[in-house]
Amino acid sequence: MLGLRPTSQPSAKMATYVQTPFGRFCREFAESRLALLGLAVLVGVMVVALAAPLLAPQNPYDLAQLDVLDGKLAPGEQSMGGKTYLLGTDDQGRDMLSGIFYGLRISLSVGVMSTLFALGLGLAFGMVAAYFGGWVDTIIMRIVDIQLSFPSILIALILLAVFGQGVDKVIIALVAVQWAYYARTVRAAALVERQKEYVEAAKVLALSKPRIVFRHMLPNCLPPLIVVATVQVAHAISLEATLSFLGLGMPITEPSLGLLISNGFTYLMSGKYWISFYPGLALLITIVAINLVADQLRDVLNPRLKK
Amino acid sequence: MTLAHLHSVRKMRLMSFICLGFSILAITSSVAKTKAREVSIGLQAAITSMDPHYHNVGPNNSLVRHVFESLVHIDENQKLVPGLATSWKALDDLTWEFKLRKNVRFHDGSPFTAEDVAFSIKRAPNVPNSPSSFATFTRSIADVKIVDSHTVIVKTTSANVLLPSDLAVVRIISKNVGEKASTEDYNSGKAAIGTGPYKFQEYIPNQRVVLKANYGYWGGEEPWDVVTFKMLTNPAARVAALLSGDVQMIETVPTADIVKLSKDAKYSLVDKISNRVIYVHLNQSTEKSPPFVTAKDGKPLDKNPFRDLRVRKALSMAINRDAIVSRVMEGKAQSAGQLLPEIFFGTSKKLKPQKFDPDGAKRLLAEAGYPNGFQMTIHGPNNRYINDANIAQALAQMYTRIGLDIKVETMPSSVYFTRASKLEFGFMLLGWGTESGEQGSAMRSLLATHDTAKGMGVTNRGRYSNAEFDKVLSDALVTMDEKKREAMIIKAAEMVMADVGLIPLHYEFSTWATTKGLKYAARTDQYTLAIGLKPTK
Repeated sequence: MLGLRPTSQPSAKMATYVQTPFGRFCREFAESRLALLGLAVLVGVMVVALAAPLLAPQNPYDLAQLDVLDGKLAPGEQSMGGKTYLLGTDDQGRDMLSGIFYGLRISLSVGVMSTLFALGLGLAFGMVAAYFGGWVDTIIMRIVDIQLSFPSILIALILLAVFGQGVDKVIIALVAVQWAYYARTVRAAALVERQKEYVEAAKVLALSKPRIVFRHMLPNCLPPLIVVATVQVAHAISLEATLSFLGLGMPITEPSLGLLISNGFTYLMSGKYWISFYPGLALLITIVAINLVADQLRDVLNPRLKK
Repeated sequence: MTLAHLHSVRKMRLMSFICLGFSILAITSSVAKTKAREVSIGLQAAITSMDPHYHNVGPNNSLVRHVFESLVHIDENQKLVPGLATSWKALDDLTWEFKLRKNVRFHDGSPFTAEDVAFSIKRAPNVPNSPSSFATFTRSIADVKIVDSHTVIVKTTSANVLLPSDLAVVRIISKNVGEKASTEDYNSGKAAIGTGPYKFQEYIPNQRVVLKANYGYWGGEEPWDVVTFKMLTNPAARVAALLSGDVQMIETVPTADIVKLSKDAKYSLVDKISNRVIYVHLNQSTEKSPPFVTAKDGKPLDKNPFRDLRVRKALSMAINRDAIVSRVMEGKAQSAGQLLPEIFFGTSKKLKPQKFDPDGAKRLLAEAGYPNGFQMTIHGPNNRYINDANIAQALAQMYTRIGLDIKVETMPSSVYFTRASKLEFGFMLLGWGTESGEQGSAMRSLLATHDTAKGMGVTNRGRYSNAEFDKVLSDALVTMDEKKREAMIIKAAEMVMADVGLIPLHYEFSTWATTKGLKYAARTDQYTLAIGLKPTK
């Protein structure tokens, strides 16, 4: 997709070998060690999340595998049944390590899924608003304005209070609060693209409106969107954690990272730090990794920062 | 660079001087505090009004007790003791005589007389917009007759042995003030004039209530000049307020912090078994599947499993109460086999907590026709009882072990109780504090066949119904002879517990933490009163 953008000519020094746009993108991305580290961590986290059922010593969502008698064991402490829990257990006797693995799974899937859906929705509305202009633009953008004037956490709280708990409901709520960002970004980018010659050329060729919008303009609007989307994944993950922390996101028997932190919150003052600390650490690492990658993506994909 | 550096150093110095200034101020003010004999208390729940007849709910009833008094008082063990009445007796089944205390004055200086009693009993059930009415306590009263300025006769419509304990919750207000006053006037303090040991000073909803001593109090002087009650609904914030010295006592210490506070020499903890039982109501109102109970494949069951004694019994046997008490409640609870701990009136010595027996439970389920179990959702509140959400999850684990498919859904109590009362759930985790301190009234509310007109089974959310038990209970409730009545109540309790009318889990312990040098007389009714808080020296 990136390849569709007309790229600048390779400089004289680089002319010695042919460089694909994707290759250039990779090289520029790799210029930052920090971003590479972020990417490596992110890949690691994803692998753990995907392979959680294989890696985790326990299925933390299967109540039959939990024993309240093993509750609140410190990291490394042995239970009465002779089991050792590497990162300790929470108040229900849930192995924290398994809880974190499964929690990452929920956090990442909620983050990615909600971002994808919101992206699609925002994209469609943003492109339509930019291309058609006039009253269509006004209506869509005023809706976006109204939505952006509310704090996203507030809207998500209200929606979840109505819907109830569950992964699907959290995703719906997050899509509802996020699409406006994409609509706005896409519209801004598309307004610029609309003035360009290739769009005029397409119009002269009498191509259909949907074709011009989605085949010609859309690919060129993507780079800023990718940056926003990456940042929004991190935002969605922390929003989900916040909602779960407040007791509105996931059901208590299927805790995500936010809910694990919330479970341990009451024990923080009594020295049982591990129930909140390790899930918090996992959440922190994931979000920092995503943000490192997003930062570098922004630098690489921003034409104004091109060297 | 260096200039900026210098600047920041200066800034820091300035800041430290300011800090020093503040800390000196703080020290001097705390010295002043000890002189003025002030104390601050952190409460778990918000006080919704200073009108003693507006909202019948524990935290309010507890707080207004400082300003307003009742004819009959309840001591820390929930025994009835003389309050504004020095004595009372039943003249016959329908007539009670109360002798009033003489030389008692309201905070505005006017004397307390029988007129005030009659007025208060009349007003209590008729406060506009009351979210939970005091009518429960005055329902049985037909008439209040003033014999002389310090004697009243209360006539009841039917024999009501609980009248004195009912009246213990009805606070006496001044007729002169109360006739012209609305709930707002009590909240602003204009009408908050009682006979109690403390006078109203300030009420800020969701923040604090400030009281000052009533020096001419008939019961003798209290050790505090000013008492501030702070509403700290977040458990961690409540503990933090105690640790930072912002308050000197908190109620309902979070179980997670009990161990830590009890090891710290700067604080002392008291706890006491309470009149609150945590229990499960099983919805028996439907012929077929109750709400949220299905076969394992999600299809409705052809009959309501909770109507089968074997299923009810199995659900009780599958619970490891000791594990809940020791792990979830950190030992601050006691396994329950009835509705009140044995120290209370009308409790049976024979009713012990159901023994944990998962294999027996499985066998009973198989006998009842559910060898593979069924599916159900455990519903419970997540901010009402001590560790309520954790108890719901622990139950889920235990039921999974006997082969049921369990989901857990907990919600804030504001949503939960409304839905539970509409019977929208199948398996309901609930709690019940028995204000009267006798098991008969608990059974009347929770287990008698639901009939709001008669005031029976008003809170029977399981809709358990057993005619034989109803008969014994209702006979017991109109028996005036204490000994006979107690024997009948015990008989009723043994009947209904053998039939597993509900599943009792445990009795909550109430806990209070104070700074060293203070002592609180722990109470079974979970009230937090400045009246029971004394310096140790």
